[in-house]
Amino acid sequence: MELGGLAQDLAAASLVLARRFAAGGTMWCVSPAWPAHGRHVAVEFVHPVIVGKRALPSVFVDTDDVVADLRVLVRPGDVVLAVAGADEPGVASAMRRGPAWGATTLWVGADTRPAAGAADHVLWVDDDTGLAPWSGRFVLLYHLLWELTHVCFEHPGLLRSDDAGACEDDVCITCSDEGRLAEVCADPTGGEARVRTAAGIETADVSLVEPVSAGDLVLLHAGSAITRVPG
Amino acid sequence: MSSDERTGFLYPFIDADERDSGALLADLAASAEAKASASSALQTATIEREGDALRAVAGAMAQRFTAGGRLFSFGNGGSATDALTVAALFNRPPEGVALPARSLVEDQAVLTALANDIGFEVVFSRQLIAHAAPHDIALGISTSGTSRNVLVAFAEAKARGLLTVGLAGYDGGELATSDTVDHCLVVRSDSVHRTQESQAVLAFELWRAVQVHVGAPS
Repeated sequence: MELGGLAQDLAAASLVLARRFAAGGTMWCVSPAWPAHGRHVAVEFVHPVIVGKRALPSVFVDTDDVVADLRVLVRPGDVVLAVAGADEPGVASAMRRGPAWGATTLWVGADTRPAAGAADHVLWVDDDTGLAPWSGRFVLLYHLLWELTHVCFEHPGLLRSDDAGACEDDVCITCSDEGRLAEVCADPTGGEARVRTAAGIETADVSLVEPVSAGDLVLLHAGSAITRVPG
Repeated sequence: MSSDERTGFLYPFIDADERDSGALLADLAASAEAKASASSALQTATIEREGDALRAVAGAMAQRFTAGGRLFSFGNGGSATDALTVAALFNRPPEGVALPARSLVEDQAVLTALANDIGFEVVFSRQLIAHAAPHDIALGISTSGTSRNVLVAFAEAKARGLLTVGLAGYDGGELATSDTVDHCLVVRSDSVHRTQESQAVLAFELWRAVQVHVGAPS
């Protein structure tokens, strides 16, 4: 079986994951339709089967509301990993919120891919039979993710070459004109609202985009919300 | 796993001054491909070697289901999650006939009660005492083949007339030699990861074969 492009995707995701762990991040795993896979990923990292490998903070979140639980649990620098189909609405929403929470997002699945940019790292099995969750394909994928992540730990110099996730690409989203994603924390009063971004909680002018309410996503530019973003 | 991770000699800047991630990323991708190939080869070899046994197990399981039996699956750690996956596959299949299955790792209250009051070796066997009937099936997964609570559960299951099916790694361990295990399918590997991947395939093929027996369109 050839991995094809998935091998490169796994390599890139592993290095970023190792960097987040090295910086003190926690990996939160969700899998609404196939909770056993989310649990397997979490136990793999927390309790390595190979003696001597470090235990890494990874947690399965058993929830009927992915966004509500992750919103409370995730801190800047953390990782959200979902094992879910592209049509899982709670997962898609959580992935979109990753930049506002300061979280790196990994989306593992099969069959139809999520839209481009739906997560920081999309690790997709090319299998349209609907059987990938049951046939061992996912197990191989997250085993490889664990194995490669631990290879990265043998390269300490490469584990601290970026910050907590804001500057992943050529354009740094915290300092360019692109705008920063923010999640509205509470309903606005007087045209202002407390919002959450990768940098923390701040007050933003939301008068241009009202009506907005708690949980909505907006794009911030120079302290003002300039547009709403589908959550 | 352990040998091909020692790739440090390939890199001139193995120390904390290493800055160029390109070489590492290329090596990671190549390593992923190599491990996937090894996994695939092991799966093929396992299905070939255990094919007859697998078909026999599937036939015996189908008889149990047809007689009103249920499947109880169990294991520890990653194998616990794989036991959950097997139960979900039988219970709520993506296609075919739904067959009653439940994993004994599911209920935290029961697991912690038994572990706290008696010991972890009885967390599965005591559940079988409460639930199992003679037509039922016990499916235990242990990559080492030596997990105490899995072996204890098989002893209880066998005494109660259940069909006992084991999935093991390495040389099969005690699971392969125990007379309380009717059928033991072994993945001959000393890598826990590669073993679990092949065990997942074995469980999936077992489900497929049972589906054919119980009359689902293949």
